[in-house]
Amino acid sequence: MKASKKIILLGHFGVGKSSLIRQFVENTFTSDYKVTIGVHILKKEIKIAADETISLIIWDLEGYDDIRKTRASYLLGTHGFIYVFDVTRPATFENLKDDITYLTDQYPNTPLKVVGNKADLVTKSYLKENKDIFSVSPNFFTSAKTGDKVDDMFIALAKELVK
Amino acid sequence: MLETYRGKYFHPRTQFITIDNLGKVLESDDVLFSLKKGDEIASVSPFFEGLAAYFDIQEDNDIKFTCVHLENTDAQEYTCDIEFKTFANGQPTLIIIHDFSDHYTYYQEVAQSRNESVINSQVLELKNKYLKEKEDFKNTFIANFSHELRNPLTGVTSFCSVLQKTDMTTEQQDYVEVIKSSADHLKNMIGDILEMSKIEVGKLSIEEELFNFHELIEMLNFTYSVKARQKNIEFDVDLDPKIPKYIESDKTRIKQVLENLIENALKFTSKGKVTLNIKENQRRARKVNLNIRISDTGIGIPADKIDTIFNSFTQLNNPQKYSGTGLGLSIVKGLVELMEGKIYVESKEKEGTTFKLNVSFKYPINQESISLEDKSDIEHKNFLSKEKYNILLAEDSELAQMAVLKILAQEGHFFLDIISNGEDVIESVIHNEYDLILMDIRMPGTHGDELTKMIRSLPVQNCKTIPILAITANLYDDDKKRYKKMGMNDIIEKPFDEKTLLKKIYKHLK
Repeated sequence: MKASKKIILLGHFGVGKSSLIRQFVENTFTSDYKVTIGVHILKKEIKIAADETISLIIWDLEGYDDIRKTRASYLLGTHGFIYVFDVTRPATFENLKDDITYLTDQYPNTPLKVVGNKADLVTKSYLKENKDIFSVSPNFFTSAKTGDKVDDMFIALAKELVK
Repeated sequence: MLETYRGKYFHPRTQFITIDNLGKVLESDDVLFSLKKGDEIASVSPFFEGLAAYFDIQEDNDIKFTCVHLENTDAQEYTCDIEFKTFANGQPTLIIIHDFSDHYTYYQEVAQSRNESVINSQVLELKNKYLKEKEDFKNTFIANFSHELRNPLTGVTSFCSVLQKTDMTTEQQDYVEVIKSSADHLKNMIGDILEMSKIEVGKLSIEEELFNFHELIEMLNFTYSVKARQKNIEFDVDLDPKIPKYIESDKTRIKQVLENLIENALKFTSKGKVTLNIKENQRRARKVNLNIRISDTGIGIPADKIDTIFNSFTQLNNPQKYSGTGLGLSIVKGLVELMEGKIYVESKEKEGTTFKLNVSFKYPINQESISLEDKSDIEHKNFLSKEKYNILLAEDSELAQMAVLKILAQEGHFFLDIISNGEDVIESVIHNEYDLILMDIRMPGTHGDELTKMIRSLPVQNCKTIPILAITANLYDDDKKRYKKMGMNDIIEKPFDEKTLLKKIYKHLK
């Protein structure tokens, strides 16, 4: 049987949540920034094992500078979270630790991936040398523009959802 | 009537759907989305798939979702608020979809503009921070690098002076002259670079002293008339006689600005003339405002380059033909602005260039009663009261030690003790009676300024009054203030030459 799982992307506005989803679902990228308001929902079926397919219902939420402002109804029945920040904009990760603590307190059994996006704008050595500035060690550094680590990140979460 | 309006304007924007506990459509009024009985509600949007867990709930619930983006089979997009109602009494689940696309389209535009503005300002802030870090790094690097260059240069310039006094053939003397002039040129360039970095980090200040402005201009007239004649061009000075003779400002910096602009004009003029014109513009509240123009008939500046000439390291012309660091004009601009003045440039290619300055200077109202004591420092030599003087040199650079030793030995007035380590200085000062101390600042052990403070507090006769002169390349204003605060009497700038060193020593010896 094909499992259907709802996952939510959270984080500040302009960090590339919609771009990550578009890259994952449609393999496309545009550098034109269009603000997401409310929620867009997309779906993608992925094979996580030879005989196992999962249907990801991906909720692309409007970005907030305070995670507590997220509308509670959006979070109902969520199976997994992806918290996205922009590695080039400190304002998007200065509350990272608090936000992650809030999510893990409120949703202790819900898998969560922390993702530093726009990694194509900095060098790998910069990320390595400056990893301490992120206060929480990210699970992935992605680039929605080049697609680097985008599929890996969604698939890793999907696998965790069916465990 | 109201019911008619409601039917016409409200109902077409709101769809009612009921579903069973498996999420299959029971009834739909199809206002926005066409659905048949038995269709999966998830076929409208994966949004409903995320609510599957609530399809078979038998309790009273009213879950509201705002601003959800949906799309119908004709690819028409709606932005809706959705109510999801479940009932405890077994009634089927009701879904109400309100189309608020118009409202949310407007909201999207507002959010777009707000978010873009916030992101742009954050990015700008980061760029500024990055630029500032880059600039700070550049200035610190320049300051340190210039400092490191000054020590070896001290060796070159001072030993040239020593060498010139030995027996040499005319050919050898010519060679030494070439070395000396190259070292002087290098010294000036390092000076320019250091000065620019000081201006850029705001560590240069304008000092005020009373001086004879007319005399300064006469001196410039004399110097540059000779230089102009060597190039077969003219140099004219037109000084408004109404301008007060004595003014209060930074004589060194004014001289530097004028020299820089005149040198520049001479450099780029091969025929015709260079003119320095100074006119009084107005007087107000003990300040005289001057218009100063330096014009030449030289190669001029192309119109598209005129905006860049005050930038650091800008050289418009072939650097092989016209030497320089490309810092002269940016230093001039920096200094004029520090004096709260303005500088402009007008130029026509192949016709010439005019630099216009507008600056104000304080001046004493009663000009007649002023007499400036203008005794040159070297004249102090004639008033020495002792046959021999004991001098302590605290300096770790062997090159500088040898330079000072050679220069003082030639004079025949001095006994010189040399100490390379800061820690031994105090001991030596206690056991010897020195007439003057030459103190390097960056020394192993304790730094020279700290040592001075310690010497001043020693309970030994003359330690409070003995002249202590810093020998250093650390010459930021903050440094100078610190040396003075620590009790140092004067500063000898590295690289120094024989004349500068002796001038300062004689000045402070009694």
